[in-house]
Amino acid sequence: MKYDAIVIGAGANGLVTAHYLARAGKRVLVVEQHQAADPSADIGWIPPAVIRDLGLAGAGLRVAEPDPWITAPLPAGGTLELSRDIGRSTEAIRRISPADAGKWPEFCRRMRSLAGVLERLYLVPPPDIESNDVRELARIAGLGLYVRRLGKQTVIDLARVLPMSIAELLDDWFESDALKGLLGALGVWHLKQGPRSGGTAFNFLHHHAGSPIGVFRPTRSNITQALSKLPGVEVRRGARAMVLAKNGTATGVVLEKSGETIEAPLVASSAPPRATLQPLAIELYPDFARAVGNIKARGVVARGTLTQEQTPAYSTLCIAPSLDYLERAYDDAKYGKDSTAPYVEVQRTDGRVEVHVQFVPPGTHGGLAERVAQILKVRPNQVALQPAEECLYHGELTLDQILFMRPVPGWSRYRTPIEGLYLCGSGTHPGGGIPGAAGRNAAREIL
Amino acid sequence: MKRYDAIVIGGGHNGLVTAAYLARAKKSVLVLERRPRVGGAAVTEEIFPGFKFTMFSYVVSLLRPEIIRDLDLPRHGLHILPLESTVTPMENGDYLAAWADHDETRRELCRHSPRDAEAYDEYGRLMHFMAQAVKPILSMVPPDPTSFAPGDLAGLLKLGKHFRGLGGERLHALVKLMTMSSADFLDEWFETDVLKATKSASGIIGTFLGPRSPGTAYVLLHHYMGELDGVFRAWGFAKGGTGAVSEAIASAARSFGAEIRCDAGVSKVLVRNGRATGVVLENGDESSASIVVSSLDPRRTFLQLLESHELPAEFVADIKRFKFRGSSGKVNLALDSLPSFSCMPGIGRQHRGAFSISPSLEYVERAYDDAKYGEFSRRPYMDIVFPSMIDPGMAPPGKHVMSIFVQYAPYHLNGGWTDAKREAFGDTVVNTVESFAPGFKSKILHRQVITPLDIETITGLSEGNIFAGELALHQLFFLRPAPGWAKFATPVRGFYQAGSGTHPGGGIMGASGRLAAMRILKDGV
Repeated sequence: MKYDAIVIGAGANGLVTAHYLARAGKRVLVVEQHQAADPSADIGWIPPAVIRDLGLAGAGLRVAEPDPWITAPLPAGGTLELSRDIGRSTEAIRRISPADAGKWPEFCRRMRSLAGVLERLYLVPPPDIESNDVRELARIAGLGLYVRRLGKQTVIDLARVLPMSIAELLDDWFESDALKGLLGALGVWHLKQGPRSGGTAFNFLHHHAGSPIGVFRPTRSNITQALSKLPGVEVRRGARAMVLAKNGTATGVVLEKSGETIEAPLVASSAPPRATLQPLAIELYPDFARAVGNIKARGVVARGTLTQEQTPAYSTLCIAPSLDYLERAYDDAKYGKDSTAPYVEVQRTDGRVEVHVQFVPPGTHGGLAERVAQILKVRPNQVALQPAEECLYHGELTLDQILFMRPVPGWSRYRTPIEGLYLCGSGTHPGGGIPGAAGRNAAREIL
Repeated sequence: MKRYDAIVIGGGHNGLVTAAYLARAKKSVLVLERRPRVGGAAVTEEIFPGFKFTMFSYVVSLLRPEIIRDLDLPRHGLHILPLESTVTPMENGDYLAAWADHDETRRELCRHSPRDAEAYDEYGRLMHFMAQAVKPILSMVPPDPTSFAPGDLAGLLKLGKHFRGLGGERLHALVKLMTMSSADFLDEWFETDVLKATKSASGIIGTFLGPRSPGTAYVLLHHYMGELDGVFRAWGFAKGGTGAVSEAIASAARSFGAEIRCDAGVSKVLVRNGRATGVVLENGDESSASIVVSSLDPRRTFLQLLESHELPAEFVADIKRFKFRGSSGKVNLALDSLPSFSCMPGIGRQHRGAFSISPSLEYVERAYDDAKYGEFSRRPYMDIVFPSMIDPGMAPPGKHVMSIFVQYAPYHLNGGWTDAKREAFGDTVVNTVESFAPGFKSKILHRQVITPLDIETITGLSEGNIFAGELALHQLFFLRPAPGWAKFATPVRGFYQAGSGTHPGGGIMGASGRLAAMRILKDGV
């Protein structure tokens, strides 16, 4: 059996790339290292074009739209619940701070407008600012014009807000610790930064992209599951693949355990860029090799599940009572330790209850499950945590690792110095938390 | 009553630079300074008999060479002496030293890590290049990206071309410098912790950020931007202290005919029909002028000198949002004799340079952690110099003065600053130095401790921020001090801003003052 293309990794991005290639008439093999599919929900906005192009609606795609979208316990008892309806959220906020309630609708409007700019940037390859190509320059000018048309306020907000810390941004608007805590948590989501670190406002907006106005948590879906059900590509599970290259050109993959070689003129990897590239002879490209070595992908999250006798009353429970709480949680991680009091978020999707614990450096989590259980007021045996992982996004979403700097500066167009080898995972633009976006952009570049 | 072409409020170095340039263009100029002497935060004062201190700022490097040239400052007494070395004592008793002699520095680095010694030159070349690439921006009026005016569009285009002209690799380096933390940026180059700590410590000066906070890498460039006598990367010490820099600029201004009045605080700017017409002094006197220039920080300029109804509400909101959060203190000591540091015992050439108390990244980061939650650092980062070793005139024969720049001392201290807290802060500083230089305490004759609150009270800098507003990415360039008003004009006609709170701001650079004067002259007074 000869393949036209091999895709490494059967996550959302890998499968999206594979299906786009298959739709273009290529014979595609997907190789996935894990035997079983990851049962956890996919988090993040799915670009509508992916759903449309691949007909995911007919393949059983379910996107959760929980309402209220977040529940946060208040120190004085009771909870703060924010809904998809701005008016209802405003009323809920009014009970803890009338001043904040007054600002909520305008805050939501301004953030929506900024996230809209990101959405536009995310559905296409990143602008190539070095290019002298007329079409590319016209595209960049078009982007500039688009932003300008959104009005003066948006231009100023973009320049001011993106490099800001989420703490500064929220302090500009609000006074309530509970509100700032649950919003601030999204600013440090999957990032080894505290809310006072510059660039966390960008991370906040990144994860707001695709959400309706006033909803500041990414959607949850079963996109990977839906993609696996689509016909048209062959998937081999339980086989870790390494890229093979000869004379600077990709020739296929070799499967780690069996040593079996599969040839194809095109290989697209949705695995982390470093894992894909470092076994290859990239030392032949010293600048590129150094840049790959310098990708920051520090894991900070432990994920797991929560078993409960009764279905909880909330869809998403956030334990991040204040910005200082988040900052102190980060302080521990700075010095290589687990957070003494971690930020915990519980998400209920399709009957499965998942836990997100931050900040937890990879590998070290003695006594963590007990602490999480204590925070959630459940028995320790109800919390099951997996070992903390490397950065789920294959590269932190910091300002120096986005757009034309992702995955490494100058190689943001899904290509690599090795001909025929492409990257299509969340290590590439636009990054994690937007399942399928990188996969689609990469496939379009390949084609 | 005499009507001036221009009144400059504030006799700090930027105000003086503006005044000098205006006077040089044959304008009649009056400078009004609240304190008994000019200089603002660049003053030299004899705090204790015979001992002269550069009270606040203490080193010079960024003063724009075109200003030195245009105003002929050496003729007015400016004389800059080089600061030769930096020694960082380590907790294990070792040290890291950087000397004036490049080869010696390399050998020293090699002792810690041959790999880093190798990387050091390449790093230096890149940083040197980047500094050159950024420099033109310091002398440029920031174009407004929200405006459709031809001048702004042309400015943006020019800026775009300039950056694209750098070429890929350097453009990427620039993006990294603007967005990364100094710790992360240095991690890409070096492995020696104490080297990274010392370099990144210079990235946090005057900021409310730690070495691991994004946005601090940019300041690393400043160390490659200084130009003293055309020699790059040199930090210097002005003979007679930084006050002598202010005096030289004041002398130049006077020589062009400017009038400088001290003990003359301004309480209000007079505005008639949306146009500035003069000022009211604290003693009630009025002075009138065609234009008024404020070199005070943005908060004082707009929220104190003007009534809020004289400004657009949106602009007032922007100025209120402008962040100051002072984070630095200063301890000035009169010494009976020089202290000996245990890492490099004895008295020697090391005392002609700086001692950086930044033994490890974690040390500096933890110093920041204390400040984040409203305390001064228990083990602070310190930059120590002995001005009397470079300019013997600063202390009586045989005696010495010691200048300790300290971070972090947050302006918003839990419970507020009190006399007791100030002394406790001074004790912390002295005890920390003692731990690196046993016996040092017994040499102290006098001690002056300056908190951010003191800086605010004495110099008028809001919240004691030494840069007249934080130098954070979202407060730079066309956003400094507010979007749409970064070109030295203000919403009030005939009223201009010229302080460090405008582009490019920060350090004894004088660039803001010069650009403001250029703008005023272009508008035609």
